[in-house]
Amino acid sequence: MSAGQAVFAGWMEIPDSAVTDEARTRAEEETLAALVSQYSGTLYRVAFSVLRNSADAEDAVQEAFLRVLRHRDTLDEIRDQRVWLIRIVWNIVLDRKRRAKTRPETDDVAELARVLPSDGLTAEEIAAAAQHHAHVLACVEQLPPKERQVLMLSAFEELSSVEIASVLSITESSVRSRLFRARNLVAGLLNHARSLR
Amino acid sequence: MNHTTQNPMADGSACGAAPSAAEETLRLIASLRAPEGLEERVYAGLIAQPRRGRILHWPSAPRLSNSWMRTAAAAAIVFVVAGGGWGIYSRVQRPQPGNVIVMPPHVATPGGFSSAGAMRTPNTLNGPVLAHPVKVPLKLVKPAVKAPAAAAQKTNRRAPASAQVAAPAVK
Repeated sequence: MSAGQAVFAGWMEIPDSAVTDEARTRAEEETLAALVSQYSGTLYRVAFSVLRNSADAEDAVQEAFLRVLRHRDTLDEIRDQRVWLIRIVWNIVLDRKRRAKTRPETDDVAELARVLPSDGLTAEEIAAAAQHHAHVLACVEQLPPKERQVLMLSAFEELSSVEIASVLSITESSVRSRLFRARNLVAGLLNHARSLR
Repeated sequence: MNHTTQNPMADGSACGAAPSAAEETLRLIASLRAPEGLEERVYAGLIAQPRRGRILHWPSAPRLSNSWMRTAAAAAIVFVVAGGGWGIYSRVQRPQPGNVIVMPPHVATPGGFSSAGAMRTPNTLNGPVLAHPVKVPLKLVKPAVKAPAAAAQKTNRRAPASAQVAAPAVK
């Protein structure tokens, strides 16, 4: 008897779902495990670029996969799972950042000093680099939200302009124009900060 | 898929400017490695989540192997259904006949509203009959048609009573 056929036992019919339920659950778990192993690193980096905290970024990745778990029945219908996942985690981190208070620059310095690569650098150099990056990030934070989001997403080399447009639900030309404005604005902000010193 | 060549910051064609310090910092952060054991922790958290929306199957299907048990079960079902139906039927009260006044059949009385197709023709009165016809001069008859009413009245005054009666007959 094939698996697709209903199994008759006496006068009671056992539906196909009862027979293949275990196999389906196993297949869903395997798909989910593959998604986690393939995209959790990318999602973490996207989340960290916004939240700039390891624990918060990891929580955001966890929440993103929990949302995937809720929509696991429609996973086959998603055309580009990578962009879809990035979009999910992007919305999560933006929402979290909106609700959270503004992070002071000192927190960014400490976190960046901890996570940035420090091969062949002294402690002082690491601290100076962390301070510089935190200052740059503070300037980026002053950008308008639209320009800031495009600038941050464009830092990910694996994302094309089309994919950035898909994540932000805008057109590709909007991505390019916003990136142009963001670059000019952040350059002006950095020059202004340099002149004040 | 080729993502690297299409990155707007990588090609720089949209802006035509060299990567600034901000972009270097953002790229540095974007290229950070995920912490060790991230995948295992995330997956363990997903497994620990209670599955919702599962379909609850019927706990256990009764296996009726013997034929007499099937017959007894079928008879019990039939008995319950028939008994329930009889109970409902016996409890339902039949509707009592109400006080109905039977109307007598309508008999068409003569002289009623129905004429049965008959046409009523009223009797006409017999007018006065003249014993001797009166000769009416034509001069007096013609103005009765064309002359005004005043002239006709004058004529009528002169005319005798027999002419007045005979004038409509000429008309």
